[in-house]
Amino acid sequence: MNAGFRERQAYWLLIAPAFALMLFFYLLPLVQLLWISVTEPAPGLGNYKSVIASAPIRRIVWTTLRVCIETTGPTVILGYLIAYAMVHVNRGQFAWMMLCVMLSFWVSVLVRAFSWLVMLNTNGVVNTFLISTGLAAEPLSLAYNETGVVISIVHFMLPFAVLPIYANMAGIDKIYVAAARGLGASPWQAFWRVYFPLSAPGIVGASVLVFVFSLGFFVTPAIMGGGKVVMLAEYISVQIQDLLRWGLAATLAALLLIGVFAILAIMSRFIDLRMLFGAK
Amino acid sequence: MHEHQTFAEDVAELALEQYADKTIDRRTLVKALGMLGLAPVFFKSGAAFGQVKELVVVNWGGPAIKAYQNAFGKPFEKKTGIKIVIDGTGPGAGKVRAMVDAKNVTWDVLDAGVGTALLLGSKGYLEAIDYNIVDKSKVRPEFVYKWGISDYLFSFVLTYDGKKLGDRKPTSWKDFWNVKDFPGKRLLRKNPIGQLECALLGDGVPHDKVYPIDLDRALEKIREIKEHTVFWGSGSQSQQFFMQGEVVMGNLWHNRSNLLRRDTKDRIQWTWTDGIVASGVWSVVKNNPGGKDAAMKFIDFAIGDVDGQIALFKVMSSGPANPKATAMVPADMRAYDPSQPENYNKQVKFDAEWWGKNEIEAFERYRDVISS
Repeated sequence: MNAGFRERQAYWLLIAPAFALMLFFYLLPLVQLLWISVTEPAPGLGNYKSVIASAPIRRIVWTTLRVCIETTGPTVILGYLIAYAMVHVNRGQFAWMMLCVMLSFWVSVLVRAFSWLVMLNTNGVVNTFLISTGLAAEPLSLAYNETGVVISIVHFMLPFAVLPIYANMAGIDKIYVAAARGLGASPWQAFWRVYFPLSAPGIVGASVLVFVFSLGFFVTPAIMGGGKVVMLAEYISVQIQDLLRWGLAATLAALLLIGVFAILAIMSRFIDLRMLFGAK
Repeated sequence: MHEHQTFAEDVAELALEQYADKTIDRRTLVKALGMLGLAPVFFKSGAAFGQVKELVVVNWGGPAIKAYQNAFGKPFEKKTGIKIVIDGTGPGAGKVRAMVDAKNVTWDVLDAGVGTALLLGSKGYLEAIDYNIVDKSKVRPEFVYKWGISDYLFSFVLTYDGKKLGDRKPTSWKDFWNVKDFPGKRLLRKNPIGQLECALLGDGVPHDKVYPIDLDRALEKIREIKEHTVFWGSGSQSQQFFMQGEVVMGNLWHNRSNLLRRDTKDRIQWTWTDGIVASGVWSVVKNNPGGKDAAMKFIDFAIGDVDGQIALFKVMSSGPANPKATAMVPADMRAYDPSQPENYNKQVKFDAEWWGKNEIEAFERYRDVISS
């Protein structure tokens, strides 16, 4: 037995308690969940069949995917701009920008949803401003609909886009752009043909992260949607808490989980997931 | 966040807010919250329940639980030897099922919504109310069920912003659907209970023909008004929609309408006409740890506690379950009490039997209509 092997064994022992904890409190309930989905109300794949056959559930799945796509685009674009600025400012400015990004990270999702409500409702701050300045004649419908839900989720998800994109950009040597400029490229060409392709992994990573996180949004659509934007998480919660249809809820949760794993599996061919989730 | 707040949860939330505002004193708060789930149980003899050490009563109490445990639970314990433990988690259907399934029942008595009680009861998660111990003649016969018995009354009422609508006041649900003469956004509930009824009334169905609900017809009517409507989840949210000036008319719990009236100095009003009057219920969890009989005794006491019910009404507008208490409500407050005959008779009586049979289908289809 060589020393390297013993050392590795010791590392495994060190993580064993954490692993056991995960197994017991995370994986076991997950298996239970899958079990409920094939046993209640009757054994078999009945729940999966009825989910696929149900037009209302299809509509909810579509709403969920649509909101997530609508969210991911603006979040990643804004995140890219912020991250780009962050790698190009001086240390003092960078610290302030990082603080602002992290601050919004720490404010509860509930507080943020209500703040957006104050901003966006018919008589809210934004509409009052637009009307008093004559930019709009009628109040815009910004809250209690999908627009409000998307705005609110974009705001929530922004740090999840900024951080991976920033991590990627920080690793891009500025000398490449300088070299491109030196070889006669215009500023735009240097960015678009040299910098942007180098930052693409950050963009893809951020997109996956934002999309996957958005799939599970619950509080924001419930508050900002005015009852008209029902996403999967809210639907599952109603089935469990109010209608006691645990078989159906477990099936939907299982499908959501499988969907997320499938996305990650596909994306892992293109990007390093360990980097994305901060393991590296 | 619990998406579908029950009336009881809402009432508890309000009591705490009012206590914080100092509009009610601590004694009244303790008394009123007691009625929500902790009314004193004066057992004839502690010895008869010698085995019973404590009863856990679950309501939507919130953070002040500890304060009234000190003021209320302890004196009770001194009197009967039975400790009352107050759990403010809220008796959600999913939580009750989870504890019964796991054979780890820690709750005795629930202050539940009638829909919740019927659903849980039909699936075997509740003890049937033992009417040998619980004297059902203490409450209105309309609200006596197998799985629960009336603890207080509440109504779904047509509420409107008198200032925004000008001189013309809506008088029935037909006006609610009339966007030409009454322009402005509408407000309905995310949960179909109390909403399908108003849709049918708005479509011209008379009171005695509302049940059994014609689901297709009611949903068609909802679809018609949907684009002019937003939907509330919790009682505070329904109030907020009016306070923000987002809506001009809505279907609200009467306690919230009454608060809006008070806070806006009568600008926002409501009518009992065409209201839907329902009741919250006391229920007992299957295999409750304190024993079925002790829990039933508690319920029997609570529905007979006339003073407690009046105290509850004064603070939270919840209509007394016991008609004797209804008769003792002070004259100047009767206009706000759903249980007063002059208000009660203008309303449709909630049919729990229909909802017990059709809740899931109604829920699914209603949510589908409003979100697609």
